Amino acid sequence: MRDVAVVGVGLSKHVSKRRDVNIPELVWEGVSAAYEDAGITPRDLDGIITGNMPAFEGVNLPELWGAGHWGAYNKPVLRITTGGTTGGSVGHGAFYAVASGLMDTVIAIAFEKQSDGDSTAGLNTVAVADMAPFLSYGIDPAFMLAFGGGAVGVAVYQASSYMKRSGCTPHHLDKVSVLCRTNAAKNPAAHLKQPGLTPEEVARTALMQYPLRFGHVCPASDGACAMILTTAEKAKKLTDKPAFIRSVASCSEEGALVGIAAAGTANTDPCAQEGCKVAAANAYRKAGIKEPRQEIDLAEPYAPFAHQLLMFYERLLLCDEGEAPSILDSGSMELDGALPVCPSGGVISTNAIGASALERIAEAALQIMGKAGEHQVEKDVHKAVAHGWGGAVNLNVVAVLADTPTPRG
Amino acid sequence: MEYKDETTSISGSWNLGQWHWKHETAVLMQHFLASLKDKKVLGLKCPECGLVYCPPKPYCSCLSIPEEWVEISDEGVVTTFTFSGSWSYGGMEEGAGTPRIIVGVMLDGSNTEMLSQLEDADRDHVDVGMRVKVKWADEPQGTIEDVMHSLPA
Amino acid sequence: MEREVAIIGYAQTPYEEDADASREILVLRAAREALASAGLSRDDIGTVITANNDYLDGRTISNMRLVEPSGACLKDESKVEMDGAYAALYALMRLLSGFHDVAMVIGESQASVYPTYAPGVMTLDPTWDRQRGLLNEVSAAALQARSYMNTYGISEEQIAAVAAKNLGNAVKNPLALRAVPGATVEQVMGSRMLCSPIREMCAWPATDGACAIVLAAGDVARKANRAAWIRGVGFYHDSYLTERPLDKMTSLKMAADKCYAMAGIEHPEVEIDLAEISELFAHEELMAYEALGFCAEGKGGEFIDSGATRMDGILPVNPSGGVLAANAVCAAGLARLAEAAMQITGEAGDHQVKGVKTALAHGQTGLCAQENIVYVLGGE
Repeated sequence: MRDVAVVGVGLSKHVSKRRDVNIPELVWEGVSAAYEDAGITPRDLDGIITGNMPAFEGVNLPELWGAGHWGAYNKPVLRITTGGTTGGSVGHGAFYAVASGLMDTVIAIAFEKQSDGDSTAGLNTVAVADMAPFLSYGIDPAFMLAFGGGAVGVAVYQASSYMKRSGCTPHHLDKVSVLCRTNAAKNPAAHLKQPGLTPEEVARTALMQYPLRFGHVCPASDGACAMILTTAEKAKKLTDKPAFIRSVASCSEEGALVGIAAAGTANTDPCAQEGCKVAAANAYRKAGIKEPRQEIDLAEPYAPFAHQLLMFYERLLLCDEGEAPSILDSGSMELDGALPVCPSGGVISTNAIGASALERIAEAALQIMGKAGEHQVEKDVHKAVAHGWGGAVNLNVVAVLADTPTPRG
Repeated sequence: MEYKDETTSISGSWNLGQWHWKHETAVLMQHFLASLKDKKVLGLKCPECGLVYCPPKPYCSCLSIPEEWVEISDEGVVTTFTFSGSWSYGGMEEGAGTPRIIVGVMLDGSNTEMLSQLEDADRDHVDVGMRVKVKWADEPQGTIEDVMHSLPA
Repeated sequence: MEREVAIIGYAQTPYEEDADASREILVLRAAREALASAGLSRDDIGTVITANNDYLDGRTISNMRLVEPSGACLKDESKVEMDGAYAALYALMRLLSGFHDVAMVIGESQASVYPTYAPGVMTLDPTWDRQRGLLNEVSAAALQARSYMNTYGISEEQIAAVAAKNLGNAVKNPLALRAVPGATVEQVMGSRMLCSPIREMCAWPATDGACAIVLAAGDVARKANRAAWIRGVGFYHDSYLTERPLDKMTSLKMAADKCYAMAGIEHPEVEIDLAEISELFAHEELMAYEALGFCAEGKGGEFIDSGATRMDGILPVNPSGGVLAANAVCAAGLARLAEAAMQITGEAGDHQVKGVKTALAHGQTGLCAQENIVYVLGGE
């Protein structure tokens, strides 16, 4: 395979409601920033890989309408969408496009303009389709939706199961929110910035559904992320310090939407996330990383809910199961820590759903390239892991980035 | 970022009522629900990997079709749980009245779990691993609600 | 290409108006059968790519319930939200990268569960075209057809001849949904007018179905029961339908040129033995003849009149009956790939064309064929 390098990253501003731009215009903010960062124009592109969650904006295949605004004129376009992991899957698609030798320079574009639609309604379509047979027996849909855990969905079941298994306490959840939201305050692209936030303030927010409080849950954002990938040879001409994507791996499991699925599922523990462990192990192996705990300098797990930062830190094989809460306590996850986690502020601070998993890869790339600005971590970042999660709690995507290509032989 | 004036908003809708999904589950559920009238819980067993699905599932990860009905226990173990606070957000209301405790239950003899509302229990003492049993009505109606309430065992 | 990749297994469910099973079970059937035809088990699969659409399926994240039935459980799975031929492209990329050796590709849709033309309307510019309510799958295709007919002097009879040929061919394809024994131009011209000049028999039928193929690279492919090798691929995106001339398929021409260059094809009209084209509407097959270089620009009508694309012609097109005979939307282009591969391996049964060494398969996404992908497959 060919080595694949990131040479440009672009992020739009992320806020709750961007009413001053339409979808293609919002995406263009991220896309144009990426072209500028890489120092190329759409003419230099061989293709576009894009995706979002079409049910959220009410536009099916929006690139048919909008991609012309992003540089797609007479270029190949590939659309990849996988729910919450969409951005990661788009990044993976862009990686494979270059690694396969079919294209040299591509742009990965992922976005969501949630204010154009109703995301909760969009998500509920997952449940509506699955609940159809129950409805035929006269079950009240509101009763079924309440079982789904309300607005925070199945995450509450995952959180309580994780807390039981790991010894994570509500106080740890509060501290995760503080870690992320204070990092977000240093990231100009982030949505929910809370400088000086304290765990006590988080603990005072209303209980949404045990064990998650409002302060533990992501906002709904409008935003876009774009990333330009090219071959190692072409990267040399564009930048002195590219970030290489060494490997990508995804792993999908049986759906674990307890109860609102119309059928039993053998994937009974939503916090087990076996798929994340499999994907991480595959990604490290392909990246030539034997000891992730020693070698990985930075992690961007996909954590829209506070417990997930700790849970996925474990599932990304960065420590033993149950160790993450004490690692959080040690301060090692901070910007100046030994293994900083979510320096961008993470998904709990900014969640333009389709874009979120690409933003994890983009942040890892920025940190390796040394271009993260105020939220650049203190240590030198040589190797980083970026993650995405979604679906019926059953999809995981993992990418490993580094400042050098995968060693051969 | 310099903000421009607001764009024009135009409303539209995605009418889910237009879709008529097909589910094998509906057929399987008839059998499953009918047996609840006799206070019997059935699972559907995969012929290849042996997993028992309850509620029944029409396909298995091993690419086989579960077909064999087996009777499973009405007692099981809590796999996960939640209860609601009191709030309203985005047009949704939660927590009016006594908060419900919802538990994931894996019934003995099944490899899967289903959600159930736990009654007669103190929410501070609910935990993963707790034993519970189905709270049967005196005369079960043969609907899914027959197995949607449980009691500490 | 970096590695040699071949189609080593395939399966299609029968195409039906109202299938007796959910999409999950259709996918499971196609996956099992494709694996069996490849002589592999689920353990041999490295990666699974599905093609489906949230609007077609009426559910967000439409791939997530397909993890189990597609054989993807605990595998490297992803979804391409386009025609299935693009899912095959993504699988091809994954194999070429060297990260995987065997890929399962599955496309599915069920017209019986949704109003079949609704998702197309949802792709329109929401602030303008969707509000005006003038454009939908059929009216957009009608504008495209009229524009093409006007520029090149193509007659309605020539377009009807495509439908007569394909629906007649479908008689020999046991999986086809719409087969018309001895279909004639007069019969097609007599079918109901949907939106002038599009008649019912010139538009794709609402279809339930799934198609799966197994792709393999390197040693696995060389040792397989059968192999139809991918010699070339090209795909391009055209501008939004109101921002481009509709009388030609520019992105298809670019895709074909790219594909031919990769496959070393200089004279497609001579070197290609057979083509399976995604003609959602009959006139698109004539436009495709031109874009694919089977005939000169504007000569699509004469080309069908010459009989060249009949089952017994010099360049048979759509011996399976094509998309006019069955269109399970996200499976359509994938089915073209499977059919082209079947012709190369000699397994096409009653609709087998003799001596096919090089075959072309085409898929498209978007109103008026906005995005097109072309493959060339070869035997040994």
